[in-house]
Amino acid sequence: MIADIVVMASEGVPAWILAAGPAGGAATYWALYRYYRNTDKSHAYERDTLITAQPVSGSQEKVDHISRTRDSDIDGDNSSNYRQRVRRMG
Amino acid sequence: MASEPPPGPSERDPDAPVFDGPPLSLEEELAAARAEPEPGPSIDMVNESLADGVNRCPKCGSTDVRQRASTGQLICLFCRHEWQESRVEEEFGLGVGIDELEGTVIAGGAEEISSDDDVITMTCTGCGADVVVDTAHAMNARCHWCRHTLNVNQRTPNGAVPDAVLPFRLTHAEAVEKIREFASKRRLFAHPRFKKEFVPENVLGVYLPYLVIDARAEASYAGVGEVQTRRWTEKSGDNTTTYYAADVYRVDRSVAFTVDDLTVEGAADRANFDGSTTNNIVNTVLPFDTKNAVKWNSSYLVGFTSEKRDLDVVELEPVLEDQLLSIGRSQVEGSLSQFDRGVRWEGEKVDVGGSRWVSMYLPVWLYSYYQENTKMLHYIAVNARTGETMGSVPVSQPRLIFAALTVGTFLEGIAGWILVASA
Repeated sequence: MIADIVVMASEGVPAWILAAGPAGGAATYWALYRYYRNTDKSHAYERDTLITAQPVSGSQEKVDHISRTRDSDIDGDNSSNYRQRVRRMG
Repeated sequence: MASEPPPGPSERDPDAPVFDGPPLSLEEELAAARAEPEPGPSIDMVNESLADGVNRCPKCGSTDVRQRASTGQLICLFCRHEWQESRVEEEFGLGVGIDELEGTVIAGGAEEISSDDDVITMTCTGCGADVVVDTAHAMNARCHWCRHTLNVNQRTPNGAVPDAVLPFRLTHAEAVEKIREFASKRRLFAHPRFKKEFVPENVLGVYLPYLVIDARAEASYAGVGEVQTRRWTEKSGDNTTTYYAADVYRVDRSVAFTVDDLTVEGAADRANFDGSTTNNIVNTVLPFDTKNAVKWNSSYLVGFTSEKRDLDVVELEPVLEDQLLSIGRSQVEGSLSQFDRGVRWEGEKVDVGGSRWVSMYLPVWLYSYYQENTKMLHYIAVNARTGETMGSVPVSQPRLIFAALTVGTFLEGIAGWILVASA
C-alpha cells in the first residue's frame, strides 16, 4: 500500500494529500467546538479602548546577514501577537 | 490644586537654603529611600445628597423608586416622576487631564477593602426597625414592617459600594431575545440536555464590579527583525526548493500613550481566565459606554442583583501593566512594515507615569447553565448597554465527533480518488 502511494506520489500528486481526511476532520471538530464554546474570545482592549498615542520612536541596526535559509519568515514572529509576554527589561 | 504657603515669618529670604534639621545618618537616608511611597491623591465620589436608609422621590417622598430600563432614569412607582443622577465624567472631571496624571490616583470607591463583612444592618428611617442587607448580592432591602425600600448609599469598607453605576439600558425582553437568537444559531451540536432545559426567560440582570482606569504610560520594546534581500529557487531532480537571504536587525521601539477608561474585572471569581471557567465570555461583552456612568445611587440596583468587588488596586496593577504592554505592542506594529520577514520581540518594559482608578458597577444580563457531567458553569452574557452578546453553549461530543468523522471520510475519499485518477 505504502509502496503504491510512493509510486503514485512520484507521478505528480503528492502522498500528503491523504492527510486531508484527518486534517479536515480535526479542523471541523475545532471550528464547531469554538463556534459553540467561544473559548478563544476575549475583550479586544487594544482596539476598543480610547488610546491617544504619541509618534512611535526607535532605531534599528543591522547586526547580521542570513545568506541562505529555507524559512520564509523569522523564527518566533510575535509582532502581531500583542498578548504574548516576553522578558521584562529592567 | 494650589498648595497652602508654609507657616512662618513672611520676611524670610526666599532664596536662602531652608534648614530642615541636622543631616540624617546613612541608615536613615537608606530607610527613607526604601520607604513605601506616600499614598497618592484620591477622588472623593460620595453622593452627598443620599444617606443610608430611604431614597425618597424628590416630588412625592415615596421610597418606591427603581430604574426604568427603557429610559435609563430613576422612576417613582407612586407618582411616575422620573429623574437621574449626574454623569461622573463631567462631575469629577474623569475625561480630562489623563496626560498629566502623576502617581496612582484612587477614587473613594476603589480604595483598599478592609473588611469582609458583607452583612450590613440598617435602621429603617421610616419605622425604626432593623433590616439586614447582604451587600455581597444586593444593595437594597425592603423593610418587612413598613415596606419602605432601604438603600445602601454610604461607603462600606467591604468594597460593595462603587464610585459610579452604569444603568441598565436593555430590557429583560430584549435580553431574552438576544440570548434566544444566540442559542438558536447553535442548536445542531448543542448538548441535548442544554436544549431541553433552555429557558432564556431565567436570565438575570447583574451589576458586576469593574475598575475603570485612565492611565499615562510609556512602553519600550527590544527585539530582532529581518528584511528579505533575495529569494531564489533551486532545482534538484524533480523538486524545486525556495531559498531566502535576509538582513538581521536589532530593533528598538518606544511609544508614549494615554488610555481612557480601560476596564478590568474587580471580582476575583471573574478575573480568572484559564480554561476551567467560561469567564472569558463575560469579559468579551466589554467594552461599556462608561462615559455615561452616573453617581452612585443604589436605587438603580432595585430589581437586580450585584456582585461586590473583592480585588484591590494593588492586586490589579500587574493586570494594568500587562494590558498597557499589549496596547503599546499594537501601537508600534505599524512602524515595523520594513521588516517583511517579521519581528520577534525579546524584551519589553512599561513605565506607568500616572493612573486613575474608579470603581463602577456595570450592567450585564446573564444566563447561566451548569453542565453536570463536566462540572462547568456556562454563560450567555448580554452587555445591557450595547447589546453585544457572547456565550458558551455546551456541546454534544458524540454529534461533534460524528460530524468530524463524516467530513474527514468525505475529504479522504476525494483525496484517494485524486490519487487513483492521477495514477
